[in-house]
Amino acid sequence: MAQNETRQDDMILSLNSIEVLYDSVLLAIKGVSIEVPRGGMIALLGSNGAGKSTTLKAISGLLKSERGKVSRGEIRFDGNLIGDFSPQDRVAMGICHVIEGRRVFEHLTPDENLDAAAPMSMSRSEMASEKERMYEYFPRLAERKSSQSGYLSGGEQQMLAIARALMTQPRLLMLDEPSLGLAPFLVTEIFGIIQRINKEEGLSVLLVEQNAIAALEIVSHGYLIENGRVVMHDTAEDLKKNSDIQEFYLGGGEGKNFHDIKHYSRRKRWLS
Amino acid sequence: MDWIFLGELTINGALTGLLYSLVAIGLVLIYKSSAVPNLAQGALTMMGAYVVLAFSHNLGWSLWISIPLAVVIMFFVGMGIERVALRRLAGRPIVMILMMTMGLDIFLRGTTLAIWGGTSRSMNLGVSYNPFFVGDMLLSRIHMVGAAVAIALFIGFMVFFRTRMGIRLRAISDDYLASWSVGISVERGVGLSWGLASIVAVATGVIWGEVQGVDQSLSILLLKGLTVAVLGGLDSIFGAIVAGIILGVLESVGSFYLDPIVGGGSRDLIVAGVLILTVMIRPHGLFGRHDIERI
Repeated sequence: MAQNETRQDDMILSLNSIEVLYDSVLLAIKGVSIEVPRGGMIALLGSNGAGKSTTLKAISGLLKSERGKVSRGEIRFDGNLIGDFSPQDRVAMGICHVIEGRRVFEHLTPDENLDAAAPMSMSRSEMASEKERMYEYFPRLAERKSSQSGYLSGGEQQMLAIARALMTQPRLLMLDEPSLGLAPFLVTEIFGIIQRINKEEGLSVLLVEQNAIAALEIVSHGYLIENGRVVMHDTAEDLKKNSDIQEFYLGGGEGKNFHDIKHYSRRKRWLS
Repeated sequence: MDWIFLGELTINGALTGLLYSLVAIGLVLIYKSSAVPNLAQGALTMMGAYVVLAFSHNLGWSLWISIPLAVVIMFFVGMGIERVALRRLAGRPIVMILMMTMGLDIFLRGTTLAIWGGTSRSMNLGVSYNPFFVGDMLLSRIHMVGAAVAIALFIGFMVFFRTRMGIRLRAISDDYLASWSVGISVERGVGLSWGLASIVAVATGVIWGEVQGVDQSLSILLLKGLTVAVLGGLDSIFGAIVAGIILGVLESVGSFYLDPIVGGGSRDLIVAGVLILTVMIRPHGLFGRHDIERI
């Protein structure tokens, strides 16, 4: 028991058998348990519709805007149950969710995007130095800080979305598909910056990705979600070696032809 | 050609247009901070006027006390509308919210009619009805006061939308979900915008109440305000001012030439024409952001 508690203290976030219901009928997540260690980087992998984004929304509280709710299980942040808190309260506690699809404030300048996310309690001088820090991490944004954000490139918008999230001074940063639709060199650049912030500031990161190759390069552990369940949990090294993962998510495998793969995927499910 | 008369028509038209801008500013405020076109702004304006009258006439208090009191009360009425009627609709399709504001319009008109009846009352601001002479042109004093109020509100809100709170409201109007995700209280922001628009409604109600008396017809100002707001661009306060002047001048000069031909009533035709043409040719208005038609 005592051992269990110390383990809990090492975790900034722990999900215990979470279930999520949409519209009181649709069960989108069926008992997901995940842990993010303090200062760690964890990936949540899985295909489209597996429940990755829903898991993040359950943690950030954004489910409520989609008429979803956590119907079972508990979410602890820093050891505290956060199930009843509003999204604003959770941001104030230090959880920030970079939602899928970038979603910058298009009609504001990048500079104003950062202003909007700064907590009201932050003083003007603090805000200015925080923004300077963001421009140092993301020099591309500094060059374009006064243009309209809607006209930034996809990569720049993703950087802005991350910088905007960092303005809330999170202790846990959750990223939903940051690589989506971006050129590989941009993915490398953005993941490099995330890794740097993780190392320099001890920011804990929960990364949701379909791009398993890129994600497994920077995280220590990964969870694989399928059909609303965690079907695999291992270190990044072992996940990369796992033949099922290679076949389905890394595009590797032993050169089976397409017909065989489809047949195989119908037959096999990871429901351990 | 009587240039003095034409000048008088133009200037008085522009002044009247700026009074339309007052209504439009209320609309823009709410649109700019929550992306909702508020069809109840006309009814709010009328209610603002009635609340002022409730203090100044029914209780006999001075206007200098009645107006600030009405401002405070209407601010909370606006906040209350968000809390009771709109909060549960946040994030729902815009059509539902639009219908809700229309329902509010009917509700507010019904309530004011039940409480204060249908007879017209006067505001008695104490502004002289004698015309103000500029050279040989005669200008209306109350219209000049109203235009000054419109310009003052315009400057005030231009500054406000550059403050941290103002930037947050603009962020909310851009993307509710993204705002929640960075800890912005969308609910409180939208509530604040309704509160501010209700304050504008008091100013508008007082000026228009002085111009045409306080009765149910004040709520029909919505149509002029909406036309101005759409022409200027629903999210542009600067647009509301410019479009107000344009519509006012078009209406006053245009109806002078058209009325003898069509036999009167061309004012409304001009307003309708401007609204329809704007939506057809330039849906985002003169100064609005360019993707408004997407919503």
